[in-house]
Amino acid sequence: MTVNPVLSTSLAAVVAVAVMSAQGQNRPFKPVDLPNGPAKAGFDIARFSSAGNGWFETFYVTQTQPLRDTLTAGKVADDTRLLVTETAGGRLALLTEQMAFHHIAQGSAGGKDWLVSF
Amino acid sequence: MVCNSGTSLVPTVDGRTHHFYHVGIHDALFVMQDAETKTLWNHITGEAVYGPLVGRSIGPISNLLHMTVKQALAMDPATRVAISDQMYFAGGRRFGTVSRGPRAGGSGNGEGARLGPSPDNPNAAMTDRFAATLGKEDLRRPRMDMGLGVWTGTTSRYYAIDRIRARGEAFLDRIDGRTVLIYVEAVSNTPAALFVNARSARREGRGVRLDDGSRVESGVLTDRTGGRQPVERPQQMFTRWYGFSLTFPGCEVFGDEQR
Repeated sequence: MTVNPVLSTSLAAVVAVAVMSAQGQNRPFKPVDLPNGPAKAGFDIARFSSAGNGWFETFYVTQTQPLRDTLTAGKVADDTRLLVTETAGGRLALLTEQMAFHHIAQGSAGGKDWLVSF
Repeated sequence: MVCNSGTSLVPTVDGRTHHFYHVGIHDALFVMQDAETKTLWNHITGEAVYGPLVGRSIGPISNLLHMTVKQALAMDPATRVAISDQMYFAGGRRFGTVSRGPRAGGSGNGEGARLGPSPDNPNAAMTDRFAATLGKEDLRRPRMDMGLGVWTGTTSRYYAIDRIRARGEAFLDRIDGRTVLIYVEAVSNTPAALFVNARSARREGRGVRLDDGSRVESGVLTDRTGGRQPVERPQQMFTRWYGFSLTFPGCEVFGDEQR
């Protein structure tokens, strides 16, 4: 077995994937409520698939906490992977592992809306 | 997700907040829909691609950077974090109360097991379901090749991770007349880019040393005296080739002769 040097993944996370992957087997996709166009040039609606529709939930962020406090409390570790963006309220981190499920997070900070896609 | 691409956008249209969710796949990249108008949106560019808001975009786009907790705190001790109730692991312990699957990621290619191949697997294959949504592919690089995509208003360029490593994991390039450092963050092992004023760069321990004496480590730029300097980054994402090339058709490929 070789370990990919680009991104290492914890064994725990790999196990989690296996567990949740099994849960996802044969789960149907929800139909999509599509408008009647128009389409932007380059977007071919015939190639659009509803794959995954209904599987994931956007993370609507209503509260945040200092990352340092979260580390001190042991809720994250030094090597926990994050996705970090800048908002009007300062830098905001999301857990990569959670975003691999949510795919989208959005909220408001400093009086301005933000959205992260992953 | 599938290609590990992520960006930060502003979910407002005409000053009103719209609410977005995953709705499907196109070009093997996930597509967002907003609840207010049902318009479909490109999650990388923020452009409306199908529906009543075509011609509009949600932005400006900004970077979504990959890093570890340690790096994030080094870069900005005031960083805040948002944690959902979705299950996750940290320090060998499980957190979160909800395990809603499936999730993207993983290391195989089984259909239905997740929504796409993991970014940590360079040998991942794309399932037929995803491949069926692809447009005309750019064959200059392997479909699932990984690298750093950088783009400005006029330039889009792909740096294959293999080519970054072949250049010692740190080198300088020029984009739109500015010098940009392309390097691999040692802690997170992810490629990144930032603008610098230097003529050469080399890996030095966990950081990068520039010829003007400055140093980059954990996303922090310090001058020769150790003083922190402001960091400016071009728009970038760690991505797979198919995702970047289909989003930016005809993009430049660092190291190819046509440059």
